Amino acid sequence: MDWHQLWEITSAPDNVPIVALILLVPFYTWYGIRQALANDRLIAQLEADPQLAKTHHRKTLPWKAGWSKEVPVWPYLLRIEFLAVIIVTVLLMVWSITLNAPLEELANPNLTMNPAKAPWYFLGLQEMLVYFDPWMAGVVMPSLIIVGLIVIPYIDANPLGAGYYTWKQRRFAIGTFCFGFMLLWLLMVVIGTFIRGPGWMWFWPGQTWDPNNQVFEVNRDLPDIFRITSAWGKTIFGAVVMGFYFAVSGGIIHKLFTWSNWNKKIFQKMSFLQYMTMQAFLTVMMLLPIKILIRHLFRIKYIWVTPWFNL
Amino acid sequence: MPDTPEKDPVTTSSLGTLLVISSVLVMLTLVWALYNEFFGLRPWKSYEREFSARYQTFLHKQIPQQEAAEKQILASPEYQQLDQQLKAAEEQVQQKADEADKQIAILDARFSALTETFTTERAYVATQVYAIEHTSLSRQPGLQKKLAEHEVGPFRVSLPTPPDGRIVTGDYTFQQLQDEFNKVQLDKANLLEEKSALLHPISDLRKKRDAYLTDHLNGLTSEQLSGLLKKALEAPVEIRQINIPDAGIVDRCESCHAGIREPVVITAKDMGGKKVFVSHPDPELLALHDPDKFGCSPCHGGNGMALESVERAHGNYEHWLWPLHPMENVQAGCQQCHAMDMVLDHAPVLSEGKDLFQRRGCVGCHRFQNYDPEPEEIASVQQETILLESKRAEAQHNVQRSIQMGDAAPDNDTARMYYTQADSLRVSISDIDGRIEQLDRRSKDLLRDTKKVGPDLKEVRVKIQPDWIPVWISNPHAWRPSTRMPRFRLKDDEVKAIAAFIWQSGIDATLPHQPPGDPVKGKESFETRGCLGCHSLDESSPHFAANLSRVGEKDNYDYLVRWIHNPRERTRPYCPFEKRDLTEADYKKHGLPYVFDLDHSKCPNDGHELQVEQETIMPNLRLTIEESRDIASYLITLKTKEPSSYPHADYLNDPSLKAQGHALVQRYGCAGCHEIAGMEDEGRIGTELTKEGSKPLEQIDFALLTREAREQGWYNHKGFFEHKLAKPEIYDTGRDWKDRDPNDRLRMPDFDLKPQEISSLTTFLMGAVDSQIPPRYWDMPEDQRRDIQEGWWVVKKYNCMGCHQFMVGQSSRLMMLPHYQTPEGRDQLPPKLMDEGARVSPDWMEKFLANPAMDPKDTDRDGVRSYLKVRMPTFFFSPIEIRKLVRFFQALAGQPMPYIPPKLEPLTDQEIAMARALFTSKGAPCLKCHATGDPAHDKFATAPNFLLARDRLKPDWARRWMLDPSMISPGTAMPSGLFKPVGDHYVFAGPTPDIFKGYDGDQPELLVRYMFEITPDEQRRLMSMSAEMLKTSELIRSQKPGVLSQNPAHPGPIVARIVARQAGGFGK
Repeated sequence: MDWHQLWEITSAPDNVPIVALILLVPFYTWYGIRQALANDRLIAQLEADPQLAKTHHRKTLPWKAGWSKEVPVWPYLLRIEFLAVIIVTVLLMVWSITLNAPLEELANPNLTMNPAKAPWYFLGLQEMLVYFDPWMAGVVMPSLIIVGLIVIPYIDANPLGAGYYTWKQRRFAIGTFCFGFMLLWLLMVVIGTFIRGPGWMWFWPGQTWDPNNQVFEVNRDLPDIFRITSAWGKTIFGAVVMGFYFAVSGGIIHKLFTWSNWNKKIFQKMSFLQYMTMQAFLTVMMLLPIKILIRHLFRIKYIWVTPWFNL
Repeated sequence: MPDTPEKDPVTTSSLGTLLVISSVLVMLTLVWALYNEFFGLRPWKSYEREFSARYQTFLHKQIPQQEAAEKQILASPEYQQLDQQLKAAEEQVQQKADEADKQIAILDARFSALTETFTTERAYVATQVYAIEHTSLSRQPGLQKKLAEHEVGPFRVSLPTPPDGRIVTGDYTFQQLQDEFNKVQLDKANLLEEKSALLHPISDLRKKRDAYLTDHLNGLTSEQLSGLLKKALEAPVEIRQINIPDAGIVDRCESCHAGIREPVVITAKDMGGKKVFVSHPDPELLALHDPDKFGCSPCHGGNGMALESVERAHGNYEHWLWPLHPMENVQAGCQQCHAMDMVLDHAPVLSEGKDLFQRRGCVGCHRFQNYDPEPEEIASVQQETILLESKRAEAQHNVQRSIQMGDAAPDNDTARMYYTQADSLRVSISDIDGRIEQLDRRSKDLLRDTKKVGPDLKEVRVKIQPDWIPVWISNPHAWRPSTRMPRFRLKDDEVKAIAAFIWQSGIDATLPHQPPGDPVKGKESFETRGCLGCHSLDESSPHFAANLSRVGEKDNYDYLVRWIHNPRERTRPYCPFEKRDLTEADYKKHGLPYVFDLDHSKCPNDGHELQVEQETIMPNLRLTIEESRDIASYLITLKTKEPSSYPHADYLNDPSLKAQGHALVQRYGCAGCHEIAGMEDEGRIGTELTKEGSKPLEQIDFALLTREAREQGWYNHKGFFEHKLAKPEIYDTGRDWKDRDPNDRLRMPDFDLKPQEISSLTTFLMGAVDSQIPPRYWDMPEDQRRDIQEGWWVVKKYNCMGCHQFMVGQSSRLMMLPHYQTPEGRDQLPPKLMDEGARVSPDWMEKFLANPAMDPKDTDRDGVRSYLKVRMPTFFFSPIEIRKLVRFFQALAGQPMPYIPPKLEPLTDQEIAMARALFTSKGAPCLKCHATGDPAHDKFATAPNFLLARDRLKPDWARRWMLDPSMISPGTAMPSGLFKPVGDHYVFAGPTPDIFKGYDGDQPELLVRYMFEITPDEQRRLMSMSAEMLKTSELIRSQKPGVLSQNPAHPGPIVARIVARQAGGFGK
């Protein structure tokens, strides 16, 4: 084990946000879930007492007898935000005093750095370049991510779970977030930071980042495995496989979405457009983990090879 | 459900405690940030304060010491006398000076009293004049009249009046005011001038007195030290920065190294052991490189801008590409600007590195700018020649075409145009011919200057005992530890293959059989002719050329005789155009005799220049064939075992080994240092090193040692070079050779360098960088300093310093030999060349360097110092190198070029008689030591013949030389004090011959003029005149030489040697 190498990555000033992320994301996830479960218990109590629920609430929100029904922003919200401002100020000041900006020597066009890494928040995108062609990973997918985030309020047919933590009323949304953001996005950032070394090669934590490291890997396209050689053949084969994929993953997602009775009700509320939009984004999102898996498990590069784009 | 309603957690809970804590935290952080801003990021503040305190203590200690020393000097009678003189002079003029001051004061008062009234009126007049000039003609007379009336005044002023300053009130007109105003100023100027003339001798005396103090005081005066103290007390704590915007230099080093430029010597001990506060250890160097112009970091490296920590400022972190040079390699910083210099004052380590790079043959494999430029130049000359030849052919063709077109032209004008075209083409052809001729001459010179590091392997069959070759190749250091041939890591079969290839590619020829000589006489010749200036017989002493102690084991006698007789003699000439050695058949084919030398150097086949010399530095000592045989016979006796005792290498003639041998010789780049048949144009196999010191570390291959190097802290250029030089194969460590191509092994051979040599070479390579400094900083002078730079390359190339002394303190190899330690031995040393450029005329020197025998036929002699056993050899310098050398010597002595000899007045008969008398006087028997051409006399001569003087010497130098030779050449046999000053000229210090009565000219000058007129007849006459004295010279010679008395009153002959000075003059 090359502890020195690991320490060098962990202690680099560039990587402070990521190291912090690794610790903070689980903590706040746990903290949020704890609150959500507490609220769920309150909601359950309220629901168990139909009279109280009827007189005090139009919707089922976490509430106890004696609590105010409404809390003004000033001072109750703003004082908390003010506290947060102070704490963040302290953190930023300590950070800027103790760590200098990670500047390096004057750039030399004849000698580029290896590995050349994007800023930490873009490392996920850079990691995506391993699995998709640049057009997909660099243009299509980022656009879809942004559009997908914009679309969320418009396809959200769930009237509950806004303004407080809850698990029970938001299972599917929280699940999707945990999977899409924490598992996919953050995992790729962490891989880009800790795993990818010189030559963007895969180095397990504790392995020395040796620029002369030799790796034996043969990546093939899926049509090649099936010995399809003609361009049209490949295009059609890929289209069929992708169609199959969308059909199957759409079915699985539908099953997952309508797993609980609660969600079945919400499904009923959704329009066809809303539902199909959601399906489209989710199936595309699922492509990413699937491509990561088939790349690492089966050394398959592209599924759908066409003269215009590869997927 | 609980009975008592729970309170709302949001509205009822208090955040007070948290707010207080975080507010306190934010305040603390603010304090921390401020502290960091003022102190944490500015450690130099405490450095400056500490320096100031320590420096003050140091000065407080120094001042009383200097005061005591000063007191002693002040009390000395010399100082007192000067002081008295000053005081007396001051007293003398005191009264007059006071009077002048008084008068000046009165004039000043008078001037200021005048000024107000006068300037007011002057302004009024000026406005009136303006009005008159700018008004209509009709109104002018009126205004003029008004002005004239005004100018009459009267203006009443009260003026202090000289000489007593009494105030006199009077009425003046404007004109009178103006005159008075001018007169006062003039008077004052006159008075001031008088006063300064009065005080001038006093200020001179004061300067003299103060100079006496500073000259006799070691270091600064207490007054100066007090000044420093005052400065230190007042020095503000601030960033001390050198900023040179156009060179991009911003150096703040002095913010911590506050004492570096102080004019006193500050050691770490003075500063409580703090090295950071010392003064610069080489103030002379600093004076040459004013930090205000050069900064610090351009020479020393480091991050001159950084101030926040020592590590940052010294640039010792990953992302600063020019870290501070470590102390042992500090001279690396010189190289980037002084790349043109071969020998550099103040940088002995770097100079040693530069020298080693040449001497150890690094240049055979690694290109380095300025080193061994000839092969490249020859290639470019060849290319240009080929280009011009094709151009010539094309022009020739066009001439034909133009003439044909002209012939066929429809009218006269067109025809004339074509004929003119043909004529102009013919002219251009002749231009091309001229250019090709020039290139041929250039390539002849370049071929002459091309030298290889190692011997010519084409001669191996005629030179070497075959059985010795494999022994040598397998490990040269085992056979001769001090050899410059490195050790290649070869397997036995590789050694065999290389040996076989070398043997089979050698020229097969038979040398004339030489009868044996006398080894005893040979030994004598070897030790006295100057061979030891370069060669050596023992391993321990440093030597330039081979150690010859085992030559008898490997060399053929016949070859050795030829080599000693003329080392440049080749068995066959080499044609660089045909790329092969010519044979007799080539000459026969063209009906030419098989003769090739520097005068017959054209190829019979294609007319291009041939290589007709061995590419060796070794010069020709112009020995007779008999003497060469003697020396060869002596050398052949030098052996530790018989050549026949080497294991018999019968495989040398095995043709099946040749191909493998060829591949190996190519792989190891043997042709970089040796001439090998068929491989004359092989390029250098190593990487170019001119900019190696700034090659990005990522591009330098530490191979499997990268991690180790990082962990052990030598992952830098210095570490790479040092490890590589100590063990060139080190970066192969850990490789799995079973599955790798063995040809991927590192090829650089082992040189067995000493640690000091490694350090010098590392310094050199670390300095070899792509400079960040603007080129105007580079030392590329256009004037004589450039001649010196270029000359050193030649001097070093031929090891002139083996026999001659060029700089005071530098000693030649010969000077160190036991043979030359006695006074008689010292007289046998070759001349010192420190002042050679001032001594001899450049034209003469050019001839001498081309042929030191100074005679085209009788070459077994030395042209100047025929009395020396040691001999100036013939180096067969090309005109290029001769020019460089001549200019070098002229520049070294600060002589202007070109040299135009001054015209000397011809002597009158009377003067000739006087000069003869002086020449032959008992007090200065010139001909006793100077050679005359008479063999019987010259046996004992220790100085050159006077007949040479006219062409050889510069008259100015000759006169200086006669006045005090020991100043020019410490330790010379020529006596000093021959002349003493009388008034504005010099006269002979010994008993002056009677004929000089009444002569008041400069006697040394008379002698110089005479010397420059001496003819052989005149010399014979002189010899007969002093015949009696010359006979007695034997007697004087046998006496112990005494120490010269400089006292002219000392009776007796002034023939003595300055033994004491000589002993001290040889430096280390």
